[in-house]
Order: sequence, then structure tokens, then C-alpha cells
Amino acid sequence: MNRRAPKPLSQGLVYLGISMLTVVVLYPVMVILKKAFEPGRNFATSVSPVPTEFSLEHFENLLTSANSSGDLLFLRYAWNSALVALATTVVGLFLACTAAYALSRFRFAGRRFGIATFLAVQMFPGTLLLMPLYVILHKLGLLNSLLGLVLVYATTAIPFCVWTLKGYFDSLPKELEEAARLDGASSFKIFYMIMLPLAKPGLAVTGLFSFMTAWNEFILASTFLTDDSAYTLPVLLKSSVGQYSADWGLFAAGAILTSLPVMALFYFLQRYLVGGLTAGSVKG
Amino acid sequence: MRRDWWHAYVLAALVSVIVATGTFVGYRNAAFEHRELARAKHAASSVAQGLLPMDNVVAAYLVSPAVQSREYEFLRERSVTEADGSQRRLGGTGAHAFDKRIYDAANTFDKSGAFVELIIDSDYVIAAQPARGGVAVAITTPPKGPEPFPWLVVLGLVVMGSLVCAAGTLVGGGARPLGLALGASGLAVPTFLWSGLAMALVVIGCSMLIAWADWRGSLRRAGREFRKGGIAYAFLTPTAAAMLVLVGIPFVVGLGLGFYNNNHGEWTFVGLDNFIQILSGDGRSLSDPLNFWFTLGVTVAWTAVNVVLHVSIGVGLALVLRQRWLKGRHGFRMLLILPWAIPNYITALIWKGMFQFEYGAINSVLSTVGLDKVNWFSEWSTSFASNVATNTWLGFPFMMVVALGALENIPGDMYEAAEVDGASPWQRFHHITIPHLMPAMLPALALGAIWTFNMFNVIYLVSDGRPGGGTDILVTEAYRWAFERGERYGLAAAYATIIFLILILWTVIGSRLAKKDEE
Repeated sequence: MNRRAPKPLSQGLVYLGISMLTVVVLYPVMVILKKAFEPGRNFATSVSPVPTEFSLEHFENLLTSANSSGDLLFLRYAWNSALVALATTVVGLFLACTAAYALSRFRFAGRRFGIATFLAVQMFPGTLLLMPLYVILHKLGLLNSLLGLVLVYATTAIPFCVWTLKGYFDSLPKELEEAARLDGASSFKIFYMIMLPLAKPGLAVTGLFSFMTAWNEFILASTFLTDDSAYTLPVLLKSSVGQYSADWGLFAAGAILTSLPVMALFYFLQRYLVGGLTAGSVKG
Repeated sequence: MRRDWWHAYVLAALVSVIVATGTFVGYRNAAFEHRELARAKHAASSVAQGLLPMDNVVAAYLVSPAVQSREYEFLRERSVTEADGSQRRLGGTGAHAFDKRIYDAANTFDKSGAFVELIIDSDYVIAAQPARGGVAVAITTPPKGPEPFPWLVVLGLVVMGSLVCAAGTLVGGGARPLGLALGASGLAVPTFLWSGLAMALVVIGCSMLIAWADWRGSLRRAGREFRKGGIAYAFLTPTAAAMLVLVGIPFVVGLGLGFYNNNHGEWTFVGLDNFIQILSGDGRSLSDPLNFWFTLGVTVAWTAVNVVLHVSIGVGLALVLRQRWLKGRHGFRMLLILPWAIPNYITALIWKGMFQFEYGAINSVLSTVGLDKVNWFSEWSTSFASNVATNTWLGFPFMMVVALGALENIPGDMYEAAEVDGASPWQRFHHITIPHLMPAMLPALALGAIWTFNMFNVIYLVSDGRPGGGTDILVTEAYRWAFERGERYGLAAAYATIIFLILILWTVIGSRLAKKDEE
């Protein structure tokens, strides 16, 4: 905020420093972009991030590769990913919105315990539950199924949605509810006629985040899905650069197609993200 | 006589019925499974002895050992003996419905010996027994379903219990809790018959507990609380139920599994053995990567190094980016948060490629400037550094954005006032910037530390623990015990429990410190 700018020399040094850092940040991304449009399977054949030859063969291979029964693999996995992420989001939002409202507006015995539980579950990583979930899904015969994966993702999506939505409900004014209560509306009516419509932006943002999280999840999917017709995109990308046969061109093309939509979403949503993530720890 | 006697009885009876029903279902399923497994095993044995299979058998054959197919080298085929003594090849054109099952069962038999198991999601049981000239496989189906639930017994006992309870209340005084406890304990009798003393004692114990709570008046108080918050509880119920099923059950199962050992699907109770094995290092030296304490040390170093780098780079950049004279600072901000936008498993895979020996981008930069190529994952230090580089790259933008947000909330005239008062730049930083940064950075720091502590993807995808598991952190180590080192689920569950305890301890200490700070 200093209004006086420093000397030109130190200004120059700052510009140099930040530009170099930006180059470091951008370089891996440039390399992947280059790889996607340059023929060949190896990761990098030169230092320059500009492709020497231009071809779309990796994208073509990715989009046309099919399994023995003729299903286009990439589209199928993209469909699986979208389906799982969407179902997780719907389950998460649906089950979370009432609880978030209760935690935000009512005072009752066990409220603090409830808040602490949701916070704890949201903070602790899915990998801790991975093993028991694996054993349970195996018993239920739900390994290798997208339904099983949705149930697994819901374990983290529900607390996440409760927590972010509670923050949003907290920020809504109470006057409307009080007026409706004076008019004799029941609590449930107030919730779905007044609060839910008011909370639409919050629901949208929370839903998009939970969609992104499920879309980007790798380790649970690659552990629970072993049959290649049920894969999601992260499992495909991981297997395209396996230990024994790595096709970095294919990976680069897939990585771009997979991450572009969520990156666009991220840039659109990032200002909401920081508040939501840190608010928990401040208020908790 | 207080008229609310039946409230407590309904609660107690409900608990008893739930416990008894659970016991009954467990007992019934175990008996059913036992009976059907025995039937399948018997059928397979009869086939092995050359007898005709009995009733309720859907398929039973003597299966030959696997031989290489004459048409296709990679195929191994088996044939079965039909009832009329003729041979038939399993599978292929004209295959029978159960050929695949029978073929697989014979393979399983070759690998791990005789077995009998329920086929998941079906009404069939399959058994394989050794026989002369191959293996006898039988698939059976139960002649009748499991025993029905004894509604009449349960209903009768509940009604009788209510009479006992009402009588106790009529007498009054100490007879009230006695009547309640006795009345609700009725279901302990069938429970005892089904599964023995332990579950029966659970029924009696629950009833006595509720009677005692009723006697002390705690039940009525809880009821009042519940009515007061009634609507809130109604709103919470769907979520709470889902969490109980999706998180609570796996959590409890995970805690429980830590006390068992898994050997090819057979679980044996081993008490604290897994925990002792982990915490004692299992006879490995402290410098052995498989020693728990080594991994813990790596995890702590990993977390500390990363958090320090994230915070210092992030805050440093934020301090630069908020300078008004910096042209294009919004552009820089957009570019610098790019790593955060990319899914982290993709980042990790990209960096794995960057650190490749032959075609990695980093080695080609090194050889362009005339340095030797480095085999990044062959040494612990370079491998660890590769992980840190990756995680720093993807982690600093979060700290930068948080710090930038906090800095932008500092009113500009504070600095002006300080400047007028003659404060040096260092004093302004120390007395204005730092106190404004801290409240935002502390929670971000706590969150970042937990994220890093559990950063599975970077470790697993970049160094993959190389060399020799040396760069594994606790979460990847637990994963490897479950899925890459012979399905030691019990040990892995114990590992997860220990990680969970560490995180809890950490959070408790953290929040204590934060509270102290506030005071």
C-alpha cells in the first residue's frame, strides 16, 4: 500500500524475481501443452516449451481408442466420471442442506458435538477410511461399481457440503424467517419456501466444489475400480503412464481435456474457496 | 402413580427388540450358511466318490486338470465327466450355464486347495473337493430359505413385559425400576437360546440402564431437551443417518479390523499384535524404511519442510503482489494460482515425467547447461527433494491467496499514520503487517499441515516411495500394507488407527495453543 514506489533498481529486481517464478510455475504446464501437440511417446525431447512439429495425433488416438466391444474409451470414462461426480454432488447437497440449516439456525443439545463431528470428518482424509470401506464394499459386492464409488465419495462430500452450506446460511439475514414465523408458517415450510431459494447461490457454489472434488479424485477410484469398463478419467490417466509402458503424448492430451473444465470452474469459483475453507477453522 | 411409565418402557422394549432381532438374524444366517456349506461340500464329496449327486444340486461334475488348448496356445482348457460317462469340454460353443463358475472353481482349487463358499449375489453355494483324476465341483441351491422371524414370541414377550412394568409402577417406589428392568429383560430368554450368554447380558444390561436412568429422572430431562430442539433434530435426522451408515460404520469397522489378521480372507483375532508390531518396529532397525518410526520421521520432515516453503513463498509473493506500483499484478496473480487449479494427481504425474532420467524435462535442462543427468529416485535425498519440489509447486498458491486476502484488508491509512509518526519500514512490517496476517495465516497453516501430512497423491505418484519405500509417508505406507504387500488389511487398519490418533492429538494440541494465544 506504500504510495511511494521504490527506486527503479529494486523495482527491476522485483520484476525479475516474480517473472522468473512465473516461468517456473508455467514451465511444467507449457511442457505438457507442447507434448500434447507434438508427436512421440517420450516426455521431453528438448528443453524448449515450443513444439517443433505440430500434430493432433494424440487427441485423435485418445478420442478414437476403443475396447474390444467398440466402446470409445475416453468418452466412456468421461461419462463415468461425470456420472459419479454428479451423483455425489446431488447426494451430498440433498443430505447436507437440512443439517446445515439446523446447525446454523437452531440451538439444541448436541449442536457443538455435531459441528465438531462434521469438521473432524471433513478434515480427516478419505484414505483413512479406504481400508474398511474396501472390506465392506467387497462384502457387499459393490467393488468395481460406480454406485459403490458414489457411496465412498459421499463420506467426504456430505460433511464438506454441511460445513460450507452452514457458512452460507449463517450469512443470510434472519428477518425474513421471523416474519414468516409470525405469519404462522411451519419450520419446514420456512426452510423450503424461503431459505432454500435464498441459498441458491450457496448451493450452486457448494455443489460445483463437490463436483470438482469428485471429478479430481484418484486414489479411491483406482483402488475400488479394477474392471476397465468402470474406470473414471483419473484411473485412465494414471494407467496411460504406467511403469512399463508410458505414452506421455496420450497422457498430455488426456490431462488437458480432463482438467480444462475443472480449471475453468476453479478460476470462476476461487474467490469463494478461500473463505469457505478457512472459515471453518476460525469459527470452529 | 406417574402416568409416563410407558415412555421408559417403550424405549427399553425398543432397545431389547433391536438387540434381540440383530442377534436372531446373525444366528439364523450363520446356521443357514453352515447348513448350506455342508450340503455343497457333501455334494462335491459324493461326486468325488463317484456317487450320483443328491437333491438340490444344480451342477456337479468331476473336472479334469487343465491342459493347454490345441487351437490356442494361451488357453488352458478343462473337461468334465457327464453322468453318462462321456467327456465334455467346459466353455466354448454350447457351454452350460455354470461352466464358467466350475472352471474358475477348479482353478481356485489348484491354487489353494479344497474350499466351499457362497456365491455372492445369488442363491448358490459352490464347493470343490479333491477327487481321483481331477477335482469334484458341485453347485447347490438351498431347498428352503432361512427360518422366519419369530414375531409371535417377540410380541408376546413385549406385551407380558409391559404388564410386569405396569405392575411395578402401581406398587410404586423401588418396584418401579425393578418392574421396568424385569419387563424389558424378557427378550433375554430367546436371545440366550439363540446365541448364548453374552447377547442376553446385553439385553438385560440395556434394560437395567434405562430403568436406572428413569429412576434418576434423566430420561424425562432428556425428553424435555429433545422436545425443545425437536425440529432441529428432525432436520438433522437424514444427514445423521447417512453419516452413521457411510462414515460411522466404516470407522468402527476400521478400528475393529486393527485387532485382526487377514490371511486369504480368513480373519483371526490377534489382539494388540498389529499395534505392537508397528510401534516396536517389528525388529527392524531405525534406518529401515519399513520401520514405523522411520516413516513417522519422514512424514514429520515432509510436513515441516513443505509448510515452511509454502508459507514463506506464499507470503513473500503476497507482499510483492499487493504493491500498487507493480504493473500487471492481477495478471501475475492469475498465472501464479495456476498450480492450484490443476487437479493434483495430474500435477503429480506431470512432475513424475519432469524427473524422469532419460527424457525428463529437468535432466534435459541440466544437460543443456552442461551438468550431468541425475537419477532422481535412486537416492533418498534427491527423491525426497523431488517430492518436495512437486508439492511446493502445487501448494504455495493457497498460502499466497490467503495472505493476499488478509493484506488487502489492512486499511492503507494505518501505514500512512505510522509513516507520519516516523516508523521505519521494518517497524511498520512488524507492528502492522504481521499482526494482521496472523489471524488468517494460522488456520491456513493448520489446514495446510494436515493436507501435507496426508498428501497421498504426490508421494504415491511422483517418487512412489523410491528408493525402497524410503520416501513413503504414513498414509502411503498404510496403503501399501493393505494393497501392495500381501493384503495385510489388519496391519493397515492398525496403521490407519495410529494415524488417526496422531491427527487427533495434533488437533487437540493445536486448538489448546490457539486458545492460549487468544487469552
